[in-house]
Amino acid sequence: MLAISIGKKLVRAVAVLLVVTFVTFCMMFGNADGIAKGVLGLDAQPSDVQKEVVKLGLDQPLLVQYGKWLLGVVTGNLGHSFFTGQSVNEALATRVPVTFSLVIVTLILTMLLSVVIGVTSAIYGGWIDRCVQFLTVLGAAVPAFIIGVALVFAFAVAIPLFPATGYVPLTQDPSGWSKSIALPVLALLIGSVAGAASQIRGAVLDVQGRDFVRTLRARGIRETPLLFRHVLRSASGPGLTALSLQTIALLGGAVFVEQIYALPGIGQLANTAAQQGDVPIVMGIVLVTIVFVLIVNLLGDVANAALNPKSRVR
Amino acid sequence: MRSNRRRALLALSIPISAAIALSGCTSGPSSSPASTAKETLTLGMTADITGWDPSNQPAYQNYPMEAIWDTLIRCDANGKPTPGLATSWKISDDQRTLSATLRTGQKFSDGTPADSAAVKATFDYAANSGAGSARYKGLKVEAPDATHVSITWPTANPLIVLNTCNVAITTPKVLATKSFTTPVGSGPYTLDKSGTTQGSVYSFSKNNAYWDAKDYPYKKLVVKVITSDTAVLNALKTGQIDGSLITTSTVNQAKSSAGVKIYTLKGPETTRLLITDHLGKVIPALGNVDVRRAMNMVFDKQAIADKLYLGNAAPASQIFKPGSDAYIAGMKDPYPYDVAKAKALMKQAGYEKGFTLTIPVIANTGVDQLMPYVTQQLGLINIKVEQKALSGPNMYNDLLGGKYPVPLWPLGNYGESLQDIYDYVLQGGIWNVEHQPDATVDGLWKTITMTSGDARTKAEQQINTYITDQAWFVPMAYPNSFYAYSSKITVQPTSDYAGLNPQLQNFK
Repeated sequence: MLAISIGKKLVRAVAVLLVVTFVTFCMMFGNADGIAKGVLGLDAQPSDVQKEVVKLGLDQPLLVQYGKWLLGVVTGNLGHSFFTGQSVNEALATRVPVTFSLVIVTLILTMLLSVVIGVTSAIYGGWIDRCVQFLTVLGAAVPAFIIGVALVFAFAVAIPLFPATGYVPLTQDPSGWSKSIALPVLALLIGSVAGAASQIRGAVLDVQGRDFVRTLRARGIRETPLLFRHVLRSASGPGLTALSLQTIALLGGAVFVEQIYALPGIGQLANTAAQQGDVPIVMGIVLVTIVFVLIVNLLGDVANAALNPKSRVR
Repeated sequence: MRSNRRRALLALSIPISAAIALSGCTSGPSSSPASTAKETLTLGMTADITGWDPSNQPAYQNYPMEAIWDTLIRCDANGKPTPGLATSWKISDDQRTLSATLRTGQKFSDGTPADSAAVKATFDYAANSGAGSARYKGLKVEAPDATHVSITWPTANPLIVLNTCNVAITTPKVLATKSFTTPVGSGPYTLDKSGTTQGSVYSFSKNNAYWDAKDYPYKKLVVKVITSDTAVLNALKTGQIDGSLITTSTVNQAKSSAGVKIYTLKGPETTRLLITDHLGKVIPALGNVDVRRAMNMVFDKQAIADKLYLGNAAPASQIFKPGSDAYIAGMKDPYPYDVAKAKALMKQAGYEKGFTLTIPVIANTGVDQLMPYVTQQLGLINIKVEQKALSGPNMYNDLLGGKYPVPLWPLGNYGESLQDIYDYVLQGGIWNVEHQPDATVDGLWKTITMTSGDARTKAEQQINTYITDQAWFVPMAYPNSFYAYSSKITVQPTSDYAGLNPQLQNFK
C-alpha cells in the first residue's frame, strides 16, 4: 500500500519536473541574438552574431532544443555555460552545496525548534502561548534579508564574532563552515520557525480537541504517551506540510541572504544567468531546485505515512 | 504537570544546544585579515567576468585580465603608448601600421615563448573571431621573426594605439582550440585553480619572471566577486578585502569607517541624454536643432550635481573628459538652465505642444534613479516621457538597436577623446544608435585620420564645438566614482585611459 502510494507520488513528481522545466525553457526561448551578442560583446558584427547563434544551437526549434537538453539530463550531461564555457555540472557542484547548506541546516533547526515551540505553546497555553504567538507573527513579518542585514551589522561588523562575507566549504574546514553559515542560517531561521511553529501549534490544538483524545484521556492514558503516541502523530500531517512549504520559502529567502553575505550559492548564479540568458545554467539550477523540493515533499509524505497510518489510505 | 514542564524544558534545550554548537558562536570569525603586507592583495569586484576568452574581457574592473595577460603596449591615462610586451614601436605616417619589437625571454604560463607568433595569432583571432572584432576587421599581421611584428589596418586608424593596447596576448594553441576554461597568459600573475571558484573568487600567484614584476609587489592576488553594496562595505570594514569600488549610497558610511580610505575617481563618466536622431527620421521633432537645444535648457546641471548626486559630481556642458584633447577648457555652457527660453525655442520650432519620447531604462544602472527628474523636466516643455523597462538577455540589444533614439546613460569619457568620438559621435559608433550620417563629422574625422599633434587636437575640438552647437547630446554631470581601500595598502592614481578604477599596478 505504502509502496503503491510512493510509486504514484514518484510518477507525479516526474510529471511536475517535466512541466516546470518545459515552461522554464519556453520562457528562456527566443532571445538568440541577445544571448549571442552578450557572449561576443556589444561590438560584435551581425555576421558573427549569427554564427554564434548557430554554434550555440539557438537557431533550432524549441522542441528540438528542449529535447536535446532532456537527453542531456538523462545522460548526466547538463551542458556548458554559454558565457564562461564552464560545465554546468561543475558550476552546480560548487554552488549547490552552499545554498543547500543554508537550506538544510535551517530546515533541520526549523523542524526541531518549531515542533518544540508549537507543541509547548499548544499544551501550556496562557502567557507562554500568547508570547509565542506574538513572536511568531513578528518573526514572519520581518523579511529574512532585513534580519540578515541587522545580524551582519551586529555580529560581524560591530562585534566581530562571525565573518561578514564568504563561505568556507564543510570539507575544507567544518569549524569555518559553521561560522560562515551561522548568521545566514539565523537570518532564515527566524522567519522559518515563526511560520512552521504557528502551523504546528494550530495542528496540535486541533487534534487535542478531538473526541478520540478525550476518550483516551478518560481511559487514563497519561499526558506524555498521549502526546507522543497519539496527538503528535495525528498532527504530523499538517506539520510536515508546513515544513515542506517552508523549504520552498527557504530557497527563495536564500537568494537574498546569499547577496548580503556574498555567498557563492545558486541564487547569485541564477540571477546572473537569467539576466544573461545563459540557458544551460538556468535549466541546471531549475532542475536541481525542483528535484530538491520534490525529494523533500516525498520524504515528508513518507514520514507522514510512517507516523500516521490513516494517511496511507488516502 | 511539573514533571512534564521539566521534560518540555529539557526537550527545548536540546535543539537550542544543537543550534549553538552548529553556529560555533564560542569563537570569533574564521577568516583572517585580508593581507599581510606584500603577501596577499584581496580585492572586491562588483561584477563577474564572463569567462576566460581574452578577447572578451570587461574594461571595467578588469583585474583578472590585467593579472593573466600582457598586451603588446599599454596605454597610459591619456591613451599614450607605454611599453608592454613590446619594448619599442613605430606608427607609420599613414596611421595604418604599428611595427613593434618584442622583449625577449617572456614566457606564457604553459612554458611556451611569448613571441611574435603568439602576437600574430592573437590579433588574427581578434580580427576574425574575437568579441569586438569590428575594430580589428581586415587587419593583417606579419611576423618576420620571433621578436618583430607589424599590424596593418585596412584604412588609417587614429585609434591604432588604443586598439592595440586592448588586445590580451595568448598562445596560438589556446586560440586554435578556443580552449578558454583555463587562461594562459604571460602577465604578472597566473591563475591558481585550487583557490578559484568561477563566479565567486579568483586566486592568482605572482609570476616572478614577468618583465615588470617589481611593479606588482604582492605575491598573491585574490579577487572576490561581491555584488551587493552592503556586503562590499561589510567586507571592507571587517578587513576581508583590501579594496573595492563602492557607490554613492555607501561612500559616506565608508568615509566614517575606521581603517578605510577613499580614493575619488573624478568624473570618469558623463551622464547624458544621447539625441541620436538628428535627422528626425524616427521622431521628426528631434530633427529640429531648436528642439534639441530646448531639451538642453530644461536641466539645471548644478542642481543635478548637488542634489541628485549629493555633491559627488560636477556639472557637465560637454561630453568629453576635462583635460582630454577634445575638451575645450573655459567653454561657456551654451545652454544655461532657462525653462522660459526652452519653451520659446519649442514654440519657434513649431513643437509648442511637445511630443512623446520613449526612454529605455535598465534597473540598477543609475538611470532609473535619474528618470523621475528627467521626466519632470522634459515635461516642462511638453515632452511626454514614457519609460520602457528593459531586462533579460536582449536588453542591450534593444538599448543599442535603434528602437529608442534617445537613451539616457552615464557613459565613460576617456582620457583619449578619440575613443569618445568613435563610440558616440561617428555614424558607426556603438552608442550612436540611429547611425545617421553627418558630413561635417565625417570631414573632421578624415582630418583626424590624416593629421597628428595640434592639427588633430584642433579637429577634435571642432567636432566638440559642432556637436555642442547642434545639441546632439544633453550632458548633465560628471559623477565621481569611489574606490574604498584599507589603510594598510596604498593606491596610486589610476593609470589607464578609461579611468574607471585603479589598475592592479596602482596597488602598492
